[in-house]
Amino acid sequence: MSWLNRFSNLFRRDKVDEELDEELQYHLEARTRHNLNGGMDADAAQQDARRRFGNAALAKERAHEMNIVLWMETIGRDVRYALRSLRKSPGFTAVAMLTLALGFGANTAVFTVVNGVLLRPLPFPEPGRLLLISYQSKQGTIENEPGLYDKDYLEYQRQSEAFDKIATFNEDSANLTGSGEAARVPTALVTSSFFSVLQVNPAVGRTFLPEEERPGKNRVAVLSDKMWRSRFDADPNILGKGITLDGASYNVIGVMPANFAYPHEAALWLPLNVGGDPHNTFTRAVIGRLRPSASQQQAQAELAAIAKHLPPGPGAGRGSMVAEVLPMRDLQVGKIRKALLIFMGAVGFVLLIACANVANLLLMRGTSRQREIAVRNALGASRWRVIRQLLTESTLLSLGGSVLGIVLAIAGVPILLALAPAAGVPRLEEIHVDGYVLAFALALGVLVGVLFGLVPALRATGHRVRAFLGLGGPTATAGRQRLPSALVVSEIAMALVLLTGAGLMIKSFILIRAVDPGFRTENILAMTVDLPDASYPTATAIQAFHAGILAKLSNLPGVVAAGAVNWMPLQPALVQGDFNMDGGRKRPRGFIVAKPAASPDYFRVMGIRFLKGRGFTEQDNSSAPGVIIVSQSVARTLWPGEDPIGKRITMEDEPKPKDWLAVVGVVDDVRQQSLTEQPLPAIYQPYEQVTRPFFLSHMSFVIRTAEKPQSVAAAMRGALHSVDANQPVLIAPLTDLADATNAETWFQTRLISTFSILALFLSAIGIYGVLAYAVTERTREIGIRMALGAKKSDVTFMLLKRTLLLVMAGVAIGGSGALVLTRVLGKFLFEVKPTDPATFLSVAAVLGFTGMIAGLLPAQRATRVDPVAALRSE
Amino acid sequence: MRTHTNDRLKGTLDLLVLKTLASQGRMHGYAITLRIEQISENVLRLEEGSLYPALHRMTQAGWLSSEWGASDSNRRARYYSITAAGRRQLSEETKEWSQLTGAVARVLSMT
Repeated sequence: MSWLNRFSNLFRRDKVDEELDEELQYHLEARTRHNLNGGMDADAAQQDARRRFGNAALAKERAHEMNIVLWMETIGRDVRYALRSLRKSPGFTAVAMLTLALGFGANTAVFTVVNGVLLRPLPFPEPGRLLLISYQSKQGTIENEPGLYDKDYLEYQRQSEAFDKIATFNEDSANLTGSGEAARVPTALVTSSFFSVLQVNPAVGRTFLPEEERPGKNRVAVLSDKMWRSRFDADPNILGKGITLDGASYNVIGVMPANFAYPHEAALWLPLNVGGDPHNTFTRAVIGRLRPSASQQQAQAELAAIAKHLPPGPGAGRGSMVAEVLPMRDLQVGKIRKALLIFMGAVGFVLLIACANVANLLLMRGTSRQREIAVRNALGASRWRVIRQLLTESTLLSLGGSVLGIVLAIAGVPILLALAPAAGVPRLEEIHVDGYVLAFALALGVLVGVLFGLVPALRATGHRVRAFLGLGGPTATAGRQRLPSALVVSEIAMALVLLTGAGLMIKSFILIRAVDPGFRTENILAMTVDLPDASYPTATAIQAFHAGILAKLSNLPGVVAAGAVNWMPLQPALVQGDFNMDGGRKRPRGFIVAKPAASPDYFRVMGIRFLKGRGFTEQDNSSAPGVIIVSQSVARTLWPGEDPIGKRITMEDEPKPKDWLAVVGVVDDVRQQSLTEQPLPAIYQPYEQVTRPFFLSHMSFVIRTAEKPQSVAAAMRGALHSVDANQPVLIAPLTDLADATNAETWFQTRLISTFSILALFLSAIGIYGVLAYAVTERTREIGIRMALGAKKSDVTFMLLKRTLLLVMAGVAIGGSGALVLTRVLGKFLFEVKPTDPATFLSVAAVLGFTGMIAGLLPAQRATRVDPVAALRSE
Repeated sequence: MRTHTNDRLKGTLDLLVLKTLASQGRMHGYAITLRIEQISENVLRLEEGSLYPALHRMTQAGWLSSEWGASDSNRRARYYSITAAGRRQLSEETKEWSQLTGAVARVLSMT
């Protein structure tokens, strides 16, 4: 019975039982018949048979135990033997195990992240019924997170039948003052339905009532457990106490349980008043809990039907709007899923390469063990018995590798996460090696051990007669080299795919670094201030504050110039919107612009180039006629072939005469969101002419410094606090912000590069191993050749030719594979095609070069073969 | 002479089964029982049920192989035969047995 068979017997006791019954029954009947033939009557014959047989149940039970106990015993014996045999060749064991440990370690580490991010269910009751509702434009430069415009949310809430309840929310932050130092804390604005959609109850107190969404009643807050403990010393009488957020007082009405911090890392929740702002593109995440009777498909159909009657948002026609119902997890993992799956694929390749190496090692070991195997055969072990023994060995090896890999992963996961861009990985704190990860690693270990041990085991046991007769000497046979060669070729092919991926990522990263964003990042320090409505209710108050800071900043020692802008490049905050043109001209369909409000010196600080006209001056204040500066693309789009200076637009639908704004200058386009995204058209207004507090309360101050920008940071903080000590300080050099927008690409590039270097290294070892073994096997042939006058260079050439063939075959196969597979990288590449020929060529060259080096070492050794010794060794 | 009980036989049961199968080839359980009784002139009588755990144990150990086949009465029966490993085991046990009996005989003959 095979191992597998016996294993399945454990679970199929019925079948074994039946057979055993049949066997025992047969015995009893045979004895009875025997007795009848001997002249007994029927009853006596049966009784005698039963008496002679003894306790049938006991016999059956014992026979059963034998099956199981012996099964365990044989495993024990196999394992002991395998351990002894592995111990006898420590070099082989160490190399094989370490190779596998690298493969398993990389896989386990990446799987740990996949498990934490993609597989683990959200920590809410019945997470499967929680869905995201989204209806918005998928075109344009911004790829929005799934969500709805407020007006669509209200409409959908009215009409939807598929959902029990829906809720909308957005992440925000607020200045928390009083009770310790002023701090910027992450908050979430949520509708009163938010907590009941998630089905999470507060640990203390209550959550929001529907009427608390409305202004006048909305000064209430729910704290996170962490906030309650860290900031308020877990005050048991916290309910009803006041806290100061953005200068306004809020009553604490509840504290959430310890593990609840959704969305993201929210420290407190505030009620959200859902209103509509039809001019600007602004969507919020919308979640809903499906009714038990409804399915996701029904919800999707319902949303599509309702969406048909919703007017499209600004800047989009209905054709470009997409109605989607998605699993709630997608809100956070939408972006990271694809990257993780690519990493999973990459480490899968690394593991396969490691396995191919180990399979090759096992093949060679099998050849050198033919004598041992032949002896075992001669002593009566069947072929299957020996195969089972060899499989036990390879599985033990593989399990050893997987245990080492788990250790590597435990050490590697924190490093991996530390390198990852902080915003890129949701639920970071939940990512660790857990039971699922261990199960994954060990299962993978067994699978690899059996799969990659099987062919070597079949091979090793296939030669017994020859070996036993002493015929299986180290004579070269092409056939025996075919399988190792095939394995090496596939290793090279897989390494090439990975290297190509890495090459494309590196090239695109270099290109990103070379991008001209339209502004300079060196020697600029940026400070962002969010002024609370409560302390700065009017545009005048806000502008007074800004003017005060700007004056102080310009006079700091070491500061060349100081400016201010509300939507600074490379920062997440941005409002885009529409506008109307003078003289009955129509704004091109779908054309929306960023609307930064800037101080006069802003352009000089940022180094944004003027192409035409003038900049803003101190005279462009609230009493002067309205002026704007447009970016080049705006000028080109609105007034092609005309001089834009003097042309007029308005931000209002029903403009009064003073609402018309005249173009006074044209500036270069600026990459607003990140270095990799196309510049957005922008219409700049002088910040003193902007009157809506919404456009002013968020302001970034930028200073150009003569020296290292960090040297001025302390003085900048002092300037802020001398005007308002209650503002939290957020200061960063612009170079850091630029790096932060590249962080994800940098991380992916580094990770893929690490994996592909690992792959390159492993396949070089593979090439070396096969060639070295070939040299050992062909020592005699090489000796004869040299005895017959072959030169050392001929021998080297002969072996290098083989390497070259292997590498070329691998590169050809890998190249075609890469052409198909690197397409998945498309979204992650910047201005590089997934089929970039230069990358393909250089990667092939790197791999070819490495391969030849790996092959050169054994070839060198072959030339040192002493012909006489080689021939005598037979 | 009393017939020997199972307990006394336990250590020798393997030996008897192996020897029987080695000399007779393929047999089912009942035939093995009969053969042992017959050869030992009914001195060694098995509790017949206890034969089966032993057969299964020896099959697992690789000394015997088993397969289903049709019996002379045209019923399905499980047939056992001895493997190469089984023959090796038999020769070892035979050696041990003769050493033991030889030793016992020498002790008994000492007067």
